[in-house]
Amino acid sequence: MTNETATRRPVVRSGIASALVPGLGQFLRGQRYRGVGILIGFLVMLVTVAWYKDPAWYAVPVLIWLWNVWDSISLARNRVRSVLLPVLIGLTAAYGIGWQVVGIDFSNADMNRAVNAVLRPMLHPDFIQSRREHNQMWVQVQVPCSSEPPKALREDGGKTATVIPDCGPVGETLIVSVSGMWPDTETNVLWRTPIGDPKMVGEGESQMLVVTTDESGSLTTTIRVPSTALVAAPDPTLPQFHRVYFDQYRPIGGYELSFIGNEVLKGALDTVAMALLATGLGMVFAIPISFLAAHNLMGGNPITYSIYVVVRTLLNILRSIESLIIAIVFVKIVGLGPFAGMLAMALHSIAALGKLYSEVIEGIDPGPIEATRATGANWIQTVRYAVIPQIVPPFTAFTIYRWDINVRMATIIGFVGGGGIGFLLIELIITNNMRGVSTVFIAIAVIVMVLDYFSAKVRERLV
Amino acid sequence: MLRIQNLSKTYPSGTQALKNVSFDVRDGEFLVVIGLSGSGKSTLLRCINRLIDPTEGKVYWDEVDITAAPPTKLRHIRRKIGMVFQQFNLVKRSSVITNVLSGRLGYVNPWMSLLGLWPSEERKRALQALERVGIADKASDRADALSGGQQQRVGIARALMQDPKLILADEPVASLDPVLSHSILQYLEQLNKEGITVICSLHFLDLVHRYATRVIALKDGVKVFEGSAQEIDRAKFKEIYGEEAQEVRAASL
Repeated sequence: MTNETATRRPVVRSGIASALVPGLGQFLRGQRYRGVGILIGFLVMLVTVAWYKDPAWYAVPVLIWLWNVWDSISLARNRVRSVLLPVLIGLTAAYGIGWQVVGIDFSNADMNRAVNAVLRPMLHPDFIQSRREHNQMWVQVQVPCSSEPPKALREDGGKTATVIPDCGPVGETLIVSVSGMWPDTETNVLWRTPIGDPKMVGEGESQMLVVTTDESGSLTTTIRVPSTALVAAPDPTLPQFHRVYFDQYRPIGGYELSFIGNEVLKGALDTVAMALLATGLGMVFAIPISFLAAHNLMGGNPITYSIYVVVRTLLNILRSIESLIIAIVFVKIVGLGPFAGMLAMALHSIAALGKLYSEVIEGIDPGPIEATRATGANWIQTVRYAVIPQIVPPFTAFTIYRWDINVRMATIIGFVGGGGIGFLLIELIITNNMRGVSTVFIAIAVIVMVLDYFSAKVRERLV
Repeated sequence: MLRIQNLSKTYPSGTQALKNVSFDVRDGEFLVVIGLSGSGKSTLLRCINRLIDPTEGKVYWDEVDITAAPPTKLRHIRRKIGMVFQQFNLVKRSSVITNVLSGRLGYVNPWMSLLGLWPSEERKRALQALERVGIADKASDRADALSGGQQQRVGIARALMQDPKLILADEPVASLDPVLSHSILQYLEQLNKEGITVICSLHFLDLVHRYATRVIALKDGVKVFEGSAQEIDRAKFKEIYGEEAQEVRAASL
């Protein structure tokens, strides 16, 4: 009986201690880290749950508290319990809160829109198109009517286009006809104002009017003078000549780059070149700086060592600022455009390459230097034969790797007006050209993959 | 004739690596320096070609004071002193032939050498040097692609390029598989027989017996023994290396 109480008393005492202050029982048993850890974990959970004000989550600190009492009692009986259980409880709570904060809610997403306006066009990247030839005809119409409007008739190379009546105010119905075009071909009918502004004349003035010619190459259709035909006119009462265009296209075999394809290709080249320039500039400045940041060269006396510390600190600070942010600052200084992006990348490259280069210099093997000096070589010969062969391959490898990083960075920096393919991408997203966006995605993926592959190959050979 | 007079070296850290060491080396000798790691062997060898400047004392070579030589003169002296290192000290990323050619840097036109241009007779000389050590077929390989023994042979070929009258070998076999020791030392012995003086630091007693014409021993920077190889027996060896030293035999081939 006495024996039993003697063993039971510390067990109970431990349990009570942990029940009062989580972790206290464990702490008093000598498991200090465990005790403090439990207390901190419990408090963090409690504060977090209290913060988010969702009563259901109070179950989590309660569960941890229960586990803690059980653990304390087990410990008093000399059994160490795994901490997996409270860690899992804590993680569950963290994920749950994360879920709430992010607001994962698919009901908001318009699936129809996602498929029709985003995903479907993205499956048809706009890069190449079949080569087409173009057949065009136009005729002039006076809007509004003057007292003696000229005949709305035009003949050109066997093609004839007419409009009846010859003139009309905004909203007037016109009969337009054309002959001598390609037979049985879809023809776009388009209105252009005197300054060349295109106006659609199809459904609701928002769609292209498309009419198919008959077997003799003629078509006749009715249009209305577009309601916006005169918005840009300085004086809407002044009669002016507008035009009705008829455009036909037909494939002539083969493919060519589409307009977007051309832009993407140009943007991609811009980006790669911009990254190359930034890397080159970074390298030029990083090489001398890296010598100042090499411990083995600068550690000798207090003056050089203080230079080393300053340079190292500057490099570390520069490196820790994302180049996107530096780019925004440069946009403020030198204005929007590739120059700002290039400067930002160059600055970041100086910091990154400076650090990497200096580590190469620190890791140099003094043996060959000693051996070369021993042959009677002079100082510059020693540098050429014992130092340069040791640092050039890793320098090159790091530089190529940096270029690789800069190309990726350049696409992002383009977003803030840094030019190149990133700038094109943001333009395409704003104008909702999802086919173009998808082309850019593919182009970026291809550039990055190709560069990644080659830089890995080159580095493999060099290092 | 090489004369070492009262040589001392104290490093900036305060370590006294050499204390008043004096000895002579006659032309054509194979002098072996023994002693524990840290006893000053490497410092002694490097003081001879002034890779390390001694704090005190003189080194005369054929009555020319190496310790007082101005830079250009020193480089001319150095090119007649080949050096072989424990860690081979090859430029690992350069080709074998480039490593060997670098032994000739003291002789050729510095500007041409900076551009990496070597006269064809120097290339021929380098290939001959590699042939002498039996690895001419590795000439265009990268140095680090070779095995340890082969790298040390490149090191010897580099020293040969200097057309040396003296070779300093700083524990040339300590980084090698013991079975390779003889193959390397035989090259040095061969060169010695052709008239090149060799100063070599070694660890194994049977190698000392086999190759040395004369031995000096260092202990804590002090010369504690000078004499013929035969005079070094087990007891003497223990005295130099300390009581705990257990002699390890290099595999006899």
